[in-house]
Amino acid sequence: MKQLSVVLLLAMSLFSTVAGVAQAAESSKTVRPKGGVLNYGEYGRPATLDPITSNEMISMRISELIFNGLVGINERQDVVPELALSWEVSPDNRIYTFKLRKDVTWHPRAGETPVRFTANDVIFTYNIMMNPKTITPLKVRFEFIEKVEKLDEFTVRFTLKRPVLNALAKFSFKIIPRHALKNPLYLTRDDPFVQHPIGTGPYMLKTITADREIVMVANEKYFKGRPNIDQFIAKPFADQNILTQALTFNAIDMIVLVNPRSIAELQGDKRFILQPYNALSYSFFGYNLRNPLLADKRVRQAFGYALNRQEMLSSFFNNQGTIISGPFAPGSWAYNLDVQPLPYSPQKAIALLNEAGFKKGADGIMQKDGRKLELTLLVPIEKESEAVKRVVLAFQNYLKNIGASVKVEFKEWQAWKEDVFADHRFDIVFASWVFDDSADISSLFHSAEIGPWKNNFGGYSNPEVDSLIVESKLTLDHEKRRTINRKLHAMLAEEAPYTFLWTLTNYSAYHKKIQHVAIHPYKFFSYADEWYIPVSEQKK
Amino acid sequence: MKKYTQTSGEIGDFSQLPIWQKYAWVDLLYVSYGLLIVALVLVSYMFGMLHWLPYDPQQINMDMLMAPPFSQGYWLGTDFMGRDIQSRLIMGIQAYFLPGLLAVSISLLAGVMLGILSGYLGGKIETVITYITNLIDSFPRLVLILLVVAAFKPDIYYIMMVMGITGIPAVATAIANKIRFLAQKNFIEAAIALGLRTRAIILKHILWYNCRALLIIQATLGMGEAILLETSLSYLGFGVQEPVASWGNMVQSGANYFLQGNFWPSTAPALAILFTILGFNLLGDGLNNILEDRRGR
Repeated sequence: MKQLSVVLLLAMSLFSTVAGVAQAAESSKTVRPKGGVLNYGEYGRPATLDPITSNEMISMRISELIFNGLVGINERQDVVPELALSWEVSPDNRIYTFKLRKDVTWHPRAGETPVRFTANDVIFTYNIMMNPKTITPLKVRFEFIEKVEKLDEFTVRFTLKRPVLNALAKFSFKIIPRHALKNPLYLTRDDPFVQHPIGTGPYMLKTITADREIVMVANEKYFKGRPNIDQFIAKPFADQNILTQALTFNAIDMIVLVNPRSIAELQGDKRFILQPYNALSYSFFGYNLRNPLLADKRVRQAFGYALNRQEMLSSFFNNQGTIISGPFAPGSWAYNLDVQPLPYSPQKAIALLNEAGFKKGADGIMQKDGRKLELTLLVPIEKESEAVKRVVLAFQNYLKNIGASVKVEFKEWQAWKEDVFADHRFDIVFASWVFDDSADISSLFHSAEIGPWKNNFGGYSNPEVDSLIVESKLTLDHEKRRTINRKLHAMLAEEAPYTFLWTLTNYSAYHKKIQHVAIHPYKFFSYADEWYIPVSEQKK
Repeated sequence: MKKYTQTSGEIGDFSQLPIWQKYAWVDLLYVSYGLLIVALVLVSYMFGMLHWLPYDPQQINMDMLMAPPFSQGYWLGTDFMGRDIQSRLIMGIQAYFLPGLLAVSISLLAGVMLGILSGYLGGKIETVITYITNLIDSFPRLVLILLVVAAFKPDIYYIMMVMGITGIPAVATAIANKIRFLAQKNFIEAAIALGLRTRAIILKHILWYNCRALLIIQATLGMGEAILLETSLSYLGFGVQEPVASWGNMVQSGANYFLQGNFWPSTAPALAILFTILGFNLLGDGLNNILEDRRGR
């Protein structure tokens, strides 16, 4: 479902669960040889490679190899020092002072002497992110910061507008070098930096080949020590089937996200390890509440009852996922397990439609006051995968059974985004959100987020939900926040601005030769500097 | 007084031969195969129009995803949504039949008119028409079609209109050349001398008696091309959209499952495309040889 994801970068949570990291953390301290090349396959290729302007998962994964944040999150989900050596927090939780490492240099460019990383870079990164001319999804995440000051070359102080829960984890944003940008005020996609970034991370971007393969080599001077594997090469694929074939024929060593259909095929292959990891994401059908037909809660609920989610999940995704009931991803602490997903009940759906005043017409389509229950489902062509196609066709079929006629319209990706987010010219969309903190859903359902290019594209507005969202954001008490989110979950499940579908289990597949693999749920390569390939397996 | 009667000469003798001796057997094979395919397409099209189908082509059966042929009443199996492939193949004809006819009629009608004007009148008009046809010919067809898709919407009728227009030059040139060739013949001169009206000469003596074959051949080849174009565009996602069936989008969606061993959902429509286009093209070829007497006996 990555194809359709609209990446929503809100704030990082300390509480997200990570599958597969425990195993790596326990592994014994064996000798880790240096060397080897890891070719990994990606479905599609990124437009930009820097951490600021990109909003794609592919470039986020590459950023993870090239850049560092002030702090990082370790495999146990604790905040650990990265570019910052230590930090102090004021008693009122509003002032964060970071002492920076003095031994960090930026990746050198050809013919350049390495430049040192200093406090100036941190302040520069913040200013670039917040400049209105910089187009970045990150801006909203850091609006809680009032100002940044440089105390000395290696000390920075952030002052917050108000205390924020888990503020420390939010300082994991990637720092970019002040000396490398063409324009010192803001960053756009025209800047050469976005195509050839340099950072402080374990791998340096070496070259992008004519085939758009992104070659990254080990940073010998990495401040945590030279990474084990010599080269990471990201290879773009235009077809998911070929991606799987490439792995089985040893053209690549790793797939970051395995197509659900290929899981069975790879499971039986002893050469590969199939590792599940929990990305905080879910898929849904979103409704445009500006359409009077869909403004009625009962109609939306009826659609929820009309779908046989279990059947779709098992037929199309080999059951690799979990059906959800509300707006939080099940991996998140905010998810309310007491709310059950809607059962499949076409009778109930028809009863709800009748209650809402719809009667079946002669053509089998429900109508009310002479208006037929006919809706358009907008699906993007370019990123359309066969799984998406199957889900939307099944949706159309389920709704036909309860007397709702859905026209599926396939649109070019950019046009789709414009129709949905800018012009709101749609009735229903099928999409998925990928969170890095699924506990913060304010941009999805708060009424202040209605407007062009904002995330509440369906125009959902409910004062009660608004106040709960605000309350949840302001509270510093974790238990209280949990209670509020559980209430929010129950309320949004009942109100059904979306029909919540499922969260899919993501699988990465890789060759057995790659050892000590730990995967971060959505950044993926966070711990890649510790992966290694035994010497006997290194030559290709 | 001497009587002038039409006596049977060499040509007469030949025309009395039975059909299988008159023409090369290859051509007859081509034509009969072509006619069979055309008949099959026509009949299937009728069935589709009347909805005389084994199953509803859009009926999803989630318990029978990608069933192999001959399973539980599904003669040709089911596709990735458990829909009956046989019914979808029949309905797929709707996707190209009328649009294809539209394309063929546009290129034939406009082509004939321009051809007559340029061939019969000649002079400045011929120059102008040659310019126009050269202009149309100089645009790559696919680029034009993609422009139309971008400017309007991926509608098959728009696409087929473009296809029809780009087909005009071939017809126009062929007709013009034929007329120029015929104009030197005695019977046209005779017709003019007898005072026949220009309209009668063009329609009856030139078009009907002498360009019939050419037009039929152009029509069959054009239809074959239209099918190929429609299926390719639907394959690429620009033509007929799901859930409506087209052979092109059937091949495309089936291809996603090809490597998992489910080769049938894409192979069935691919074979349909292959045999149908082959049929139309062979019909055109065979007719060309027979009617124009191209092949030495």
